Amino acid sequence: MDNTLKQMIKRGAFLCTLVIIALVGDIRNTFAQAESPKEDDFFKIMKVPAPEGTILEVGGLCTLPNGTLAVTTRRGDIFMVENPTGQHPFFRKFASGLHEVLGAAWKDGALYVVQRGELTKLVDTNMDGKADVFETIYAWPLSGNYHEYSFGPKIAPDGSFFVTLNLGFPPDWWHPKSFVPWRGWALNIKEDGTVTPWAAGFRSPCGISMIDGELWYADNQGDWVGSGSIMPIKKGAFMGHPSSLVWTGLPNSPLKLTPEQFFAKNNPRVEFDKNGQPVKPQDIVNEKFKTEFEAKKEFPELQLPAVWLPHGILGISNSEIVKIPEGAFGPFAGQLLICDQGQSMIDRIFLEKVNGEYQGAAWAFRSGFQSGIVRLAWLSDGSLATGETNRGWGSAGEATMGLQRLVWNNRVPFEMRAIRAMPDGFEIEFTKPVDKKVAADIASYSIESFIYKYHGVYGSPPVNTEKCPIAGVKVSEDGLKARLIVNNLRRYYIHTITLAAIRDKESYFNLVHPTAYYTLNNIPEGQKLSMTEVSTVNSAKAVASAAVKKGMGTKKATALKPGALVNAIPTYAEVQPLLLKNTCLSCHNTTKRQVGPAYVDVAKRKYSVTELIQLIHSPKPEHWPDYSTPMPPMPQVPKEEARKIALWIKSLAK
Amino acid sequence: MDCFNQFPKLSGRKKFWIVCFCLLGYQQVRAQNAVSFHDLSFFDNPSSNWKIAGGVQADIAQDEVLTLKEGTGILVNLPGKKGAKDLFTKTVYGDADLELDYMMARGSNSGIYLQGRYEIQLLDSWGTVNPKSGDNGGIYERWDDSKPDGQQGYDGHAPRQNASRAPGLWQHIKISFQAPRFDGKGQKIANAKVLYIWLNGVLIQDNVELSGPTRGAFDKVETATGPLRLQGDHGAVAFRNIRIISYDKPQPTLSNLKYRVYKGGDMAGDAYNKLKPESEGASPVLSSNQSKLNNDFLMRYTGNIQVKETGEYAFKLSVPGGKGKFRINGTDVVTLTENAGQGKIQLPAGDHPFELFYSKTIDWAKPALGLTVAGPGVREHLLSDANVSNNDPVDPILINAASSPIVRSFSDLPGGIRVTHSVNVGSTALLNYTYDLDKGMIVAIWRGGFLDATPMWHDRGDGSSRPAGSVQYLGKPVPAIEKLHDANAAWVLDTAGTGYKPKGYVLNADDVPAFKYLIYGVPVNDASTLMDKGQGIHREITLANAVDGLFYHLATGNVETLGNGLYAIDDKSYYIRIDDAGGAKALVRDADGKQELIIPIQKKLTYSIIF
Repeated sequence: MDNTLKQMIKRGAFLCTLVIIALVGDIRNTFAQAESPKEDDFFKIMKVPAPEGTILEVGGLCTLPNGTLAVTTRRGDIFMVENPTGQHPFFRKFASGLHEVLGAAWKDGALYVVQRGELTKLVDTNMDGKADVFETIYAWPLSGNYHEYSFGPKIAPDGSFFVTLNLGFPPDWWHPKSFVPWRGWALNIKEDGTVTPWAAGFRSPCGISMIDGELWYADNQGDWVGSGSIMPIKKGAFMGHPSSLVWTGLPNSPLKLTPEQFFAKNNPRVEFDKNGQPVKPQDIVNEKFKTEFEAKKEFPELQLPAVWLPHGILGISNSEIVKIPEGAFGPFAGQLLICDQGQSMIDRIFLEKVNGEYQGAAWAFRSGFQSGIVRLAWLSDGSLATGETNRGWGSAGEATMGLQRLVWNNRVPFEMRAIRAMPDGFEIEFTKPVDKKVAADIASYSIESFIYKYHGVYGSPPVNTEKCPIAGVKVSEDGLKARLIVNNLRRYYIHTITLAAIRDKESYFNLVHPTAYYTLNNIPEGQKLSMTEVSTVNSAKAVASAAVKKGMGTKKATALKPGALVNAIPTYAEVQPLLLKNTCLSCHNTTKRQVGPAYVDVAKRKYSVTELIQLIHSPKPEHWPDYSTPMPPMPQVPKEEARKIALWIKSLAK
Repeated sequence: MDCFNQFPKLSGRKKFWIVCFCLLGYQQVRAQNAVSFHDLSFFDNPSSNWKIAGGVQADIAQDEVLTLKEGTGILVNLPGKKGAKDLFTKTVYGDADLELDYMMARGSNSGIYLQGRYEIQLLDSWGTVNPKSGDNGGIYERWDDSKPDGQQGYDGHAPRQNASRAPGLWQHIKISFQAPRFDGKGQKIANAKVLYIWLNGVLIQDNVELSGPTRGAFDKVETATGPLRLQGDHGAVAFRNIRIISYDKPQPTLSNLKYRVYKGGDMAGDAYNKLKPESEGASPVLSSNQSKLNNDFLMRYTGNIQVKETGEYAFKLSVPGGKGKFRINGTDVVTLTENAGQGKIQLPAGDHPFELFYSKTIDWAKPALGLTVAGPGVREHLLSDANVSNNDPVDPILINAASSPIVRSFSDLPGGIRVTHSVNVGSTALLNYTYDLDKGMIVAIWRGGFLDATPMWHDRGDGSSRPAGSVQYLGKPVPAIEKLHDANAAWVLDTAGTGYKPKGYVLNADDVPAFKYLIYGVPVNDASTLMDKGQGIHREITLANAVDGLFYHLATGNVETLGNGLYAIDDKSYYIRIDDAGGAKALVRDADGKQELIIPIQKKLTYSIIF
């Protein structure tokens, strides 16, 4: 009897332990899922206090060698902000009355700024804290069109300046034009006023940046720009928008491509309605289209995006690019950050060179800024100042202006640190070791790729989307890297790499940003993995086959009555993933006006479900004249998803 | 002036409809409204201080001096030592619009008495920073002798800003007056009103009620009519181009208004007849607010218009974002028009049926139906709902010269010229100017408020600002300095070939800019300072070294040589005075039907623009 009891107790204890272990394991998982940290657990957005009433529609930021932050505004003011990282920053008005200053750079004791019409050198000669010399280095022609914004300057290693010039917007604004030289161009300007036209093909080059002595910029979605991206600016390059080609015949032009040559190969899509009035061309679904990399075969001077920033996900009007200095932002030092005006967010970019050309990965980094971010500048304490304005356009952050700073709290987030292209796939580097079991499971990764059209229509839907099956994964010994064998890699395509299930070893947290977008301009040569090195474990297949074994098959759930299924009103919880996936939430909120109208306001218009689906695919911005930014067509939203979204929106009407 | 759309949204994306439905200031400039100055027969027993002349000139350095030239067309008052009297018209007026030019001698004082009782002060207020009710364009005070000393004046209304010109320059004033109203028993039931006064292009009085006659009224009562009276016993003044429009007839009214709204705006002919209206009903007022649809609708109003006097009536129809039509008695008065239109029709007294269509098809615009009527003796007024506007009101963004004395912006000049590299310079002395950096020339000067920046800082803006005071434009921008091979060579219109390079500006200790540029390889310093009391701009142009054959362009327009280096430009709109030209002589020469005032320049030229 004693033995049996002992055995029972032992067995019981053993079972208990098993149960407990199982339970604890589950609890830990559940706990971790609810608790995975978010962006603001690592990077805090703080305000830079300014005297009440100071209008800070920031257009330019520049940190001086002594740590003072120069802030230029669209109202023509220039403030020197002393101690910008402290509790009591001091604002001193350095200059005023300039014409919309959209950038500043400090050199040899002078502040160089770009106004609408000129590059100006400001000097405070009598050291009273105010500029007294406003020297015109070079004044370029202007037609007087409101959209001829001018950006820069960025200082080249030889001390010369670069500026970029926006196109003008005529009444048919969907085809901006270059009305006078050198709109849509980048110019190199020397201190003595000598001008060298540098490159053409720019559309809205607000994000002019100098990274390690190389000139870069980000263009914004519009005609010939399917989505925003970052591109290096080489001398003599054609950045993609044809309107500025009208000046390639001028002396000193480093490129010879004419508009006639361009439009001989590319349809300008100039269209009229039945009354002969110019009309905005629409995207044609199911057409034969050209991609930019195909167009480059015809025009070698065309510069392809180095890293695409998918529209509506990683921004809608990307602007300044900065490099994270050594010692700042932990594991991301050396990488790039780029800000966005419309979505009030910052993205991170990992850049690499393959076969001599730039490419790389982009992730969302931080959202939640109060207005649209236009400028970035590093402050002396390693925090990042953000200059913001949204007047005339709207943004996710509802304030019309802002000067904030992003501060790291020195805790390392669990993120993809880098993604490198491999001869047979991608290698993902993490900031912290991963849980190896999850990382060795192919089902933890999902990759598909797509591209944009290159056409004279405003923006482009993602096209040619295909899945990229993963054949195997090799996790490094230290758990910091996972190298994937990926099939169906397509050169030039944007590869969406989602690691929804990956967890870190230490806390079993999810990645803060589980989705990356890798622009694969080149596939490197080199050693491929052999199948013996990789794990082919795939828990999704295991579940499916287990289900098959049990005879459950893959029967679909019992169908409800057809009517009920089709017209059942989804809850927000059901529809939210669709809104996220289709980038609706970049511009819309249920109750609050953002870049686009609140969904409750859309519901008030009493559109039918069919109308709502049509409007998702082919929006009518004229229905919302109070909103500055037109909604781009979204024909890529699957009809069933659009229907669910439409049903939900309709349900919001009271 | 009630322009519905004062701040057109010049966004390149949106089409905009400027429906400047200007009710007031509608000028029926016809010969019969102008007062002829061949003689003084328009006036009742004129005293001898009033004369007719062909030309007149003041002296900016001496008080009360007006010199006459023989001829006709100008009415001049020279009060002399004593015996001078005011001047009264023979005609009497009730509601009336008055427009005229006047010229003050230095230090002078005169006035326009509406109905002989309500004085609008005319004064040489040149240089005054804070105008009072007794300053130029003010509604003069009333007077109560029974009050203690110093408290007898009351109810004077200062002009909104000092929009005055220098003595000896013609000033332009537009006054709209509404007489007091009386009931059948002769009791006053409504005060007289100054509906507006525009002085030199600036609205200085807007809808001001007059509680009673101002000090010095010619009698002690108020009546429905009275003569126009010009003050003659105070100072030397000249008048010309007097136009008076009398409004003494009752206004037409509308009644029996019924509306129907049909869905679908783009409708031809009578197609609407076949449709069921989306809504219909009677309305107390002609208003597009009755339509619940914002766009794609056809709105049809019917009703009657009561006309009390036979005559020709002029209608203006405003149908923003679409097309419209207005018919009376089955005849098109305003034929099918897009956005806005007008027309006239002869109507006998009585009731007439009317029909009005508003077909709206453009989504951008807000629906805002407007209809005005004007007729013989009938001031233009709004027949439709006054609370309808196709633009949301915007808080104006005004720049004060005290806080921001220099502002760069685009500047728009008459003739559709947009100066793209211009600098506006303001001062607390209220004299401001715009400098064109592409030419080295001042293109506009104004007195009063500095800038209205709403066009550039509201919403996306269009990059431009507007002067907020009384402006004098100085002609088409041309290069300031050119090399001429002889005194008759044409002045080239752009800087090509001159090596012109703008070099920006430098601020002195008082934040006053000196502009710098290169011309023919020579650095030029272009410094302007304000004359005392903001009376003008003193300009100093200095070249680092002399270049042969250079001339400076002072003005283009009509040029009168007044002597002592003083010139009056554009029919005495402003003065140019040569202060020091290093001995060079200015030339007046003909150029393309106009005249040019130019002067050789070696190393330095100083001159003044007096205004």
